[in-house]
Amino acid sequence: MKRLTGLQREVLSLYRTCLREARKKPEATRQNFIRFARDEFRSHLSIDRKDFDTIEHLLRVGRRKLEVYSGEGLRMLFDSFSGGSGGCRGGE
Amino acid sequence: MSAKLFNPRLLQTSSRLVTSSTASSASPIISAANATVLRRGLASVATGEAAPRESSKPRIKSFQIYRWNPDTPEKKPEMVKYDLDMNQMGPMVLDALIRIKNEIDPTLTFRRSCREGICGSCAMNIDGINTLACLCRISDLSKPTKIYPLPHTYVVKDLVPDLTQFYKQYRSIKPYLQRKDPPTGKEILQSIAERRKLDGLYECILCACCSTSCPSYWWNSSEYLGPAVLLQSYRWLADSRDQFKEERKQALENEMSLYRCHTIMNCARTCPKGLNPGLAIAQIKKEMAFSS
Repeated sequence: MKRLTGLQREVLSLYRTCLREARKKPEATRQNFIRFARDEFRSHLSIDRKDFDTIEHLLRVGRRKLEVYSGEGLRMLFDSFSGGSGGCRGGE
Repeated sequence: MSAKLFNPRLLQTSSRLVTSSTASSASPIISAANATVLRRGLASVATGEAAPRESSKPRIKSFQIYRWNPDTPEKKPEMVKYDLDMNQMGPMVLDALIRIKNEIDPTLTFRRSCREGICGSCAMNIDGINTLACLCRISDLSKPTKIYPLPHTYVVKDLVPDLTQFYKQYRSIKPYLQRKDPPTGKEILQSIAERRKLDGLYECILCACCSTSCPSYWWNSSEYLGPAVLLQSYRWLADSRDQFKEERKQALENEMSLYRCHTIMNCARTCPKGLNPGLAIAQIKKEMAFSS
């Protein structure tokens, strides 16, 4: 396996953190969070490996989104592709 | 009704940086024949609505505006040119931006709110100078006006900068009154001289023009607080009603928060409200030096 660059490691580390946060969510909506994280990362697969500016920007945006979504009160995530549960922020 | 000769020079605001359009745009001379009521407010007089123009030839002014869309992040930012007819428009850059958004390109994104220079939302870099778009007059027609977002900030979209770090730094200086005495229910009295010390400090609208014009803040934005936040920090230090002066000074007692200021003074040059953050920072440094 080829050695991962620093940037690639950061991306993987962010993905791992997203999945870890998703595992802290309630059982019923966990899949929504995991699927959301996966979709977000997959949508940018086409970006060139050497396009550092874009990758760094997406990492920054991703970290900001992670901060928002990992809040304690946020229990459901509306997934536009599934029929599924409406999203609402739990008790504030 | 006496008609006064309208003197364009009276329109000059205190800020040296507001580019004046009076020189070239042939400000209307309100003749006795069609003396309309002089409307209050500088902007309406400057547009020349009082005297109708003889020529209806369109006076085209071009704007080059920084565009970038986060939905297609791999596409690099670019400067897009827009042409507008100055005959149909208000005098300020914000008027131009709104017109572009309404008529030419609705995807142009920028912050705006009060349109009178008090909210600080429309701060951006116009022709190399950080000002509020609602206070910056459109300069002469000969050269295109270049509009960029505030320098050295992360861009959310087009002309919208990401100011979360700026706000976090502002929160960190505890910008509220702190008292050691228990509240009495009565007003905390302050003499006129003490209140005068706050003039030039409380008017700050936190537009971030000064901080984003400071090279020291560009290179150290994570640790250096920046002129805007330091101005506010001095506002609370100078307030006679605040009793936590020592703690506030102690918070600045490190290498980076205050002492990255090297009196570059870009902040005072660019402040759209005419404030002087550099002077406030010097006064903080003086207090820090003479007290401890």
